[in-house]
Amino acid sequence: MSISQISVFVESKPGHLGNVLEGFESANLSVRGFSAADTGGYGIVRFVVDKPEEALAHLRERGFAVRLTKVLCVKLHDKPGELASVLRVMAQAQVNVVYCYSLVSTYIVLAVNDIARAEKALADTSLELIDDDEIAALPVRQAL
Amino acid sequence: MGTPMPSCEHIDFSKLPIYKPDVECTSRERIRAIQLAKLIDQVGYTYDRVAWYRDQMDEMHVKPSDIKTLDDVRKLPFTDKSALRLTFPFGMFATPLDEIVEMHASSGTTGKPIVVGYTKEDMDVWSECIARLAQMAGVTAGDRVQMAFGYGMFTGGFGLHYGILRIGGMMIPAGSGNTERHIQMIEDYGTTVLIATPSYAMHICEVGEKLGFDWAASTLQIGLFGGEPCPPGLKAEIEARMHITCTDNYGLTEVMGPGVSGECLAHRDQQHIAEDHFLWEVVDPQTGEPVAEGEMGELVLTPLDKRGIPVLRYRTHDLTRVTTEPCECGRTLVRMDKVRSRSDDMLIIRGTNIFPSQVEDVIANIPSLSPQYRMIVDNDEGLDRLTIEVEIHPDVFSDSFEDMNQFTHDVTAKLQSVLLLRPVVKLLEPGSIERTLGKAKHVDDRRRG
Ligand SMILES: [Zn+2]
Repeated sequence: MSISQISVFVESKPGHLGNVLEGFESANLSVRGFSAADTGGYGIVRFVVDKPEEALAHLRERGFAVRLTKVLCVKLHDKPGELASVLRVMAQAQVNVVYCYSLVSTYIVLAVNDIARAEKALADTSLELIDDDEIAALPVRQAL
Repeated sequence: MGTPMPSCEHIDFSKLPIYKPDVECTSRERIRAIQLAKLIDQVGYTYDRVAWYRDQMDEMHVKPSDIKTLDDVRKLPFTDKSALRLTFPFGMFATPLDEIVEMHASSGTTGKPIVVGYTKEDMDVWSECIARLAQMAGVTAGDRVQMAFGYGMFTGGFGLHYGILRIGGMMIPAGSGNTERHIQMIEDYGTTVLIATPSYAMHICEVGEKLGFDWAASTLQIGLFGGEPCPPGLKAEIEARMHITCTDNYGLTEVMGPGVSGECLAHRDQQHIAEDHFLWEVVDPQTGEPVAEGEMGELVLTPLDKRGIPVLRYRTHDLTRVTTEPCECGRTLVRMDKVRSRSDDMLIIRGTNIFPSQVEDVIANIPSLSPQYRMIVDNDEGLDRLTIEVEIHPDVFSDSFEDMNQFTHDVTAKLQSVLLLRPVVKLLEPGSIERTLGKAKHVDDRRRG
């Protein structure tokens, strides 16, 4: 079980990230989490949104260099040691976490070098993976 | 070339006409001998008849008898456009006006135009040069050739017209304008060759498509282009949509007009120079000294048998490189690269000559980049620094910094191998560089002296 993440190429210049967000806004897309990293010249901004395919099409249309990638999304319980346990599972399974960021509530995105292997390792634990549908439903669930 | 060129592998070159094989396919030694004999004669003729050159040569202590080898051409003065302007209108003429049979002029965007006059012999050379380039494209006596250039003072219209007559082709002198009439004439008269600027040919193509004209089924087979530079991408598109083969040629009013060199079908990005009529040099635009064969430099032309207005060592300001390798089409006359930039565009960075067209070529060959680029030169930290901004293609962006860094590194290495200088490559978002036609806009020189 994995989710779709939107990665966008942005120049490190004032207003460029804002253009992407305006794109989401105009398409009525909701951001569940994001991470931005840059090299000084350009950056890669990663988003988890409620409708990834729509977001991809919308940003492409606006001329952005954008890509859909598969990442894992793990649901954590809000207690000490939970994050460490995820990374421990990955380490034991010899899976490399390329990058990692948190979403709304206690969810984290894990970009790994071997999704299948990581899924298998997590399946043996009490840690819970969620999918795109659950991402889309996130705020609803919280409201309840 | 970044744009795919139509494949010419299927062409049997032995079946294509060559207008003057005893010259166009002769040995390099014989061509050099022809050039030397003509150069000696031409320098004497020019010295005797044109005061401007006599004064220049006297000042440099050069006499016509000093010209003994082709390399001796370097002893002669260069000629710039300004010399022709200063002597307006007839100051550079070597013959009485009675012997001039036709006049042309280049449109002067500033000040006086450049006026040129042709003797009967000059017209003969000119039409032969055009005949040669028309045959390089496959035009023969049976062709029906429709002119879409304007006639008039511009050298293109009449120049091409006379050359086609020389081959024995039929001229249809439609002239410029009225696109629908052009298409109607192609249909009514069974036109096989169109002479036009590439942008007008594209316009005819589009109007025809809108009218429902079937270019694939039309009689049209060849396009002879001129009057403006023809970007390879535009040519390829016209060839595909109009189902024709298109070539273009090079020339300048100051040394004759169109016909100095022409494109054959074996090397679509090069043109054979009519060497028996033009002595070429490729020089460093800064020093005027010759560059090694195959290196990029400014083309300098000396017409070898021009009677009306002889011109010695004309600085074209056009950048090219020349190869003496024989061509698959059978011709041994040298090939020059099609002119894509002018010496005025050249940048000197840390002592290295850099042309925007070099950057353009490298980038055109990287499919993951758009053809747009910007060159920024600064010396904020003392040394000159060249930054090249390029746009990544939306489809190739990867989610990984490692991949993107590797990609930047590869682009830098490719540019460095051509420029002989390591640039800083900056990746930009697609569409972020302003689209312009002019080369000048590609370069931003911010150096402070
Ligand atoms: Zn050739």
